[in-house]
Amino acid sequence: MKEKEPKIVCFSCRFSWGYLGSEEDIAARLENWIPIICTGKIDPVHILTAFRQGADGVLILGCPEGDCHYQDGNIEARKRITLLYNVLKSYGIERERLKLHLGADPVGKTMPQLVKEMADTVRKLGPRSGDNPIQKKSAARTK
Amino acid sequence: MTAAKKGRKMTDKKKVAILWLGSCGGCDETIVDINELILGVVNSVDLVLWPVALDFKYHHIEKMADGEIALGIINGHVRNSDHAEMARLMRQKSQVILAFGACACFGGTPGLANLRSKEDIFRWVYQEAPTVINPKGVCPQTTTSLDGKELTLPEMFESVHSLDQVIDVDYYLPGCPPPPYLVLKAITAFLEDTLPAKGSSLASHKALCDTCPRNASKPNKVSITEIKRIHEVEADPTKCFLSQGIICMGPATRSGCGESCININIPCRGCFGHIELVADSGAKFLSGLASMIDADDEAGLEKISEQVRDTMGYLYRFSLPISIMNQKKL
Ligand code: SF4
Ligand code: SF4
Repeated sequence: MKEKEPKIVCFSCRFSWGYLGSEEDIAARLENWIPIICTGKIDPVHILTAFRQGADGVLILGCPEGDCHYQDGNIEARKRITLLYNVLKSYGIERERLKLHLGADPVGKTMPQLVKEMADTVRKLGPRSGDNPIQKKSAARTK
Repeated sequence: MTAAKKGRKMTDKKKVAILWLGSCGGCDETIVDINELILGVVNSVDLVLWPVALDFKYHHIEKMADGEIALGIINGHVRNSDHAEMARLMRQKSQVILAFGACACFGGTPGLANLRSKEDIFRWVYQEAPTVINPKGVCPQTTTSLDGKELTLPEMFESVHSLDQVIDVDYYLPGCPPPPYLVLKAITAFLEDTLPAKGSSLASHKALCDTCPRNASKPNKVSITEIKRIHEVEADPTKCFLSQGIICMGPATRSGCGESCININIPCRGCFGHIELVADSGAKFLSGLASMIDADDEAGLEKISEQVRDTMGYLYRFSLPISIMNQKKL
């Protein structure tokens, strides 16, 4: 059976990622792309909702450390994500499925590659079911 | 009480039913705890069901006309087919359904069982727990034949549900259990026809921090460099718990409890649930807590994150079944 391509949801801050490129071009190459203004706006609610709706991985692209347009939104995002790993673990969602990458790419050329790298990592973990992570975890434990 | 109400005949009295589903009994106890005032309530309504206190049978309810009960008060969570059946019967016979207590409103503490599958729970309880001796591997079944007779048990569902995942709920009275003064307020509003819009919570609309006596001591920016557990330290009884590095769910929890935990120097655990328009109070709290963390680098951040022992117990002690990841209609 052919393996399904992992579904990666990518949030990216407009201030460092793709602001010089054409949004249509980037969107055409990134299936689940959500451009935002500042990673500090991303709430655990958004990330959990992505997983609940079937994401296999969530990639967050933020501005380089010290370069946040709003001072420290990227650092706030890092703090939330670090705490959120504890929650994901309880749902049997591996740490590798959520990643914050701080950097910059004004034309957004590298974005599809970053998503692909994430997809490759996640593929090795196997698929996860979107609506019932608990059952999935239990099944894994009994094996 | 008005003269008109006093003179009401028995038959004019509004019918009220109180039912427990997956409940510890604490919610019924809190109704009793309105003390002598309960007599006034009992006199002004016609209690048709209260399994914990009165001898009425479920088939009495089945025989009633649809909507004959004016108010159905339901406490406890829904975990098995019996609970679901009774909840549906109450919905059919009642004009107004009040979800009473954290279990009915959000799934409650038993909802933390949703971190395990039903299969895991059965295996642990009937086989693997160190105190279990069960060489034959006996495990409850929904039907068993014995001497030519068929015995049945309710079916345990895959997960714990809040009441509104099973039936339509008109009002919510949170708390574990709800404090007697709020119970009385709710029943009075019902008797006086002053209930708010359908779907409302019959508690405060503020967050606990807004009514907490320690709020004044909370600095504008709380900065946490170490997370401590309440039993590990002697908490200053005048200062905001969060400012002492002790997790307190006050920012993400509805007020109305009378700050009963705070007043005995125990941080809030969240039994009043979320405030209006919050989809997942655990996730919201996590977000707020993260912003208070003061760590210089990733290693420092990881260290503090590890100090949050039992994250799910803090974030979802009463609300896992209605959380984003776990919520599921029956
Ligand atoms: S809400 Fe609390 S007091 Fe009421 S049944 Fe549940 S655990 Fe017991
Ligand atoms: S965090 Fe807790 S102690 Fe501090 S103000 Fe809020 S409810 Fe009170």
